Amino acid sequence: MAFLIRTIDFTAAGREIIRDRVVEQTSLTIGRAAECDIHLPDLAVEQRHVRIDLAPEGTLSATALGTLGFGLDGRVVTQGTIDPRTGGEIALGAARLAVAREADGAVSITIRQVADDAGKTDALRGFALASALPSKRAMSWVFAAAILLLLLAIPVSSHLLRTPVKPDPKGETPGQVVLDAAWTSGALSLKHHSLEDNCESCHVAAFESVQDETCVSCHEDTGTHAKMPRLAKGMPPLSPGNALQWQIAQGFGKEGPLGCVSCHAEHEGPVRQKPASEAFCADCHDTLDTRLTDTALGNAHDFGKEHPQFRPAYFASFGAAKPVRASLDTKPVERSGLIFPHDVHMDARGGAARMAVSLGQYGQPLECKDCHSLTADKIGFKEVMMEGACESCHSLVSGRGVSGFTKLRHGDVQDLAEDLSRISSGPRVRVGPVRQRPGQIGSASPYRADFGRPVRAYIGLSNALSPGGVCTECHLPTRSKGQADLMPVNLPDRFLTRSLFNHDAHKKEKCTDCHAADTSKVATDLLIPDLKSCRDCHLGATAVKTKKIVPSECAMCHAYHVPAGQWSPKGKAPHYRPAPPPKLPIKLAPDKTTVAVIARQAKP
Amino acid sequence: MASTAKNRFSQDEKRRDSDHVSFLKHRGFRWLWIALALSGVSIAGYVLIDQQPRPNGGSWYGYTLGTIGLLLIIWLSLLGVRKRRINPGAWSLKAWTSAHVYLGLSLVVVGTLHTGFQIGWNVHTLAYVLMLLVIATGIYGVIVYATLPASLSANRKEMTRAQMLEALTAIDRQLESAAQPLGRAEADWVIAALAQDTFHGGAWGRLTGSYPHCATRRALRGMPQGAAEERVIALLEKRTQQLAQIRGALRIRALLEVWLFIHIPLTIALIAALTAHVISVFYYW
Repeated sequence: MAFLIRTIDFTAAGREIIRDRVVEQTSLTIGRAAECDIHLPDLAVEQRHVRIDLAPEGTLSATALGTLGFGLDGRVVTQGTIDPRTGGEIALGAARLAVAREADGAVSITIRQVADDAGKTDALRGFALASALPSKRAMSWVFAAAILLLLLAIPVSSHLLRTPVKPDPKGETPGQVVLDAAWTSGALSLKHHSLEDNCESCHVAAFESVQDETCVSCHEDTGTHAKMPRLAKGMPPLSPGNALQWQIAQGFGKEGPLGCVSCHAEHEGPVRQKPASEAFCADCHDTLDTRLTDTALGNAHDFGKEHPQFRPAYFASFGAAKPVRASLDTKPVERSGLIFPHDVHMDARGGAARMAVSLGQYGQPLECKDCHSLTADKIGFKEVMMEGACESCHSLVSGRGVSGFTKLRHGDVQDLAEDLSRISSGPRVRVGPVRQRPGQIGSASPYRADFGRPVRAYIGLSNALSPGGVCTECHLPTRSKGQADLMPVNLPDRFLTRSLFNHDAHKKEKCTDCHAADTSKVATDLLIPDLKSCRDCHLGATAVKTKKIVPSECAMCHAYHVPAGQWSPKGKAPHYRPAPPPKLPIKLAPDKTTVAVIARQAKP
Repeated sequence: MASTAKNRFSQDEKRRDSDHVSFLKHRGFRWLWIALALSGVSIAGYVLIDQQPRPNGGSWYGYTLGTIGLLLIIWLSLLGVRKRRINPGAWSLKAWTSAHVYLGLSLVVVGTLHTGFQIGWNVHTLAYVLMLLVIATGIYGVIVYATLPASLSANRKEMTRAQMLEALTAIDRQLESAAQPLGRAEADWVIAALAQDTFHGGAWGRLTGSYPHCATRRALRGMPQGAAEERVIALLEKRTQQLAQIRGALRIRALLEVWLFIHIPLTIALIAALTAHVISVFYYW
């Protein structure tokens, strides 16, 4: 068996020198020692480093002769087997010994020197994932720069460089600040939706919270609940966390806890602004008297548990200029100036009912709606007019005229006097055929006129205005400026002036369920239902809803900014229109709230 | 003197013991308990405080959580600075890493509560999502650091990375001489196999271990059976095996490292988004 040992060297010029020799042995030694079969002059190689033995089956076994291993196909071993058919490579120092089988069956060992692998450590870097991905630092810079540019630099610079325009609640001018939509913390409420792309219409100046004056520039008619110092005094102390936050926020120019935005939180999604909760009202009104010791308001925190008795506005004395308010617990006596027994009119078997049945206009006993009709907003009732409501029974017909019956005008005593005097001066209707006699030109003459004093008219007027007369059926007689007169009728348009009661929302109930009209014998009864009767159905917000019980937030009847208004009730959409704000002849100063409103609303 | 020596001994023992405790178990899970306490307190506060009209990042509690979250994020990102400073003691890197992991996890609670569960297409949610991504990749990192090194070591079969490359070079040298008798087409197969970069295939190839364009395998497929080709085929098979080992190492290494390529850039992006978030909130106050 022979080994073909081929040594490949390079001259200085780079030319290859190949030397072949054949060793007829079954075993070879390799080392630095000169007596080795393969002599490698390399200090990294041992004197006798490796022995290669030819095994009977044709494979070669390489064994380290010392303690130092050798490289076999890249791996450092002390013992290894080489199949010459596939070959193998032994590394010893800088020498590489390639073992292969030649065509003639001999095993060739090709020795060649390799240059030291200088780029090895560089090659090892290829194992790190960093060699296949962009660098973390570069990615960081790109991401951070993109975010800071798009989401910070562009909106800020376009905000600073814009020319401010007037607030535009209709959203007709496009937003001037670019890319600030990415700053929104949530959609605006439905009413403010048109401002969605126009952040700077509310956020006017940089690093300045939304100011009340910005809100009021559109919401100029909004009244305040009470004067600011009084509100502050009535407020319960803030929680430590809130107090600290407000202290810091106010230091940075935010409006205090009584500013618009502290209640009207925006960016809470495309919803309707919610009415104030019961807890919101109860925060102050629960123990209001402990802080506002001079207040006339009773404490309230839950309609079913603590709420003051209603204090309707009514006229407490005949001909009073202004209505007053009094608790229903004091059994107020209404001096409207009218005589009107509700029970007589509502008795289904009484005279009034019989009369109504006989009249085509009614055809059946009287009902409430025959006299009381809802206003267009379905909240209150129209004024009861004598002509429409009373006159078909309480007739003022005074005679027959050219086009039908004549009647006395209602509403003004002067008009009545005029109409009565006309009756006495008009031509007498003949009772029967009377033969005219010669010379008889008095009352029967077509040219007759009585230019004397209307004595009969005076008597008629006096009769009408005095007890037992036609006027005093309903009106109270009085005297003014020495003349017989009637007491003026005083009825407020609205009794519950500090809250809103919607009759349309209660149309399933009968009127008499709440108003004790069918048992009221005199007009001095104030037929406004009391707190207790409302509580039959309405309890506080925390009450359990049943078929009968309606959990009722404060906002069902009260509004914060308009005392007599109403916030739209909770839920998706109102099932009836909320009251329009009262039309006042003079624009109210924002802090004028209570008495002035009542006084204007009450009928003089 | 004796007592000093004894102290020294016990100190060294303690240090040696602690050297072999995982950063996750550092000091009996100290930072896990701190993180759990922070999360618990945050949740309790969120539940107990009746914020009107609804919980919001702009309430006093929201600001508190936001400030805690911001400071935590800044501190957590400083791990990259800390790990480059080698110093022992109470502020050991292991303690930092332990705190980094557990406090980072508690950020999920603090950050989510700070949002008040109000999510939208805006810079605020961008910061929140970036934070969640950073935390998610961090969780992945902890898991692979705990599980993959064992398989990395198993894959090596007592070879260093340099030896793996050396083995491939040895095979290549033999392949080159063995391929001398081949025809043109076969020789081209071998040239293509030898010329191809050992690390070709990109990040995706490394992560999945799929190399559809492997020239060695292609050469093996294309090589016809014959006396001259027999040795080349045997060597190509050896090359394939060696490549498989290298690629196994690459795959494990890539799985170990890939999270950092998301974790780090997104952390920097998160700090940028947080800057935009804080400034924009007060710019449009």
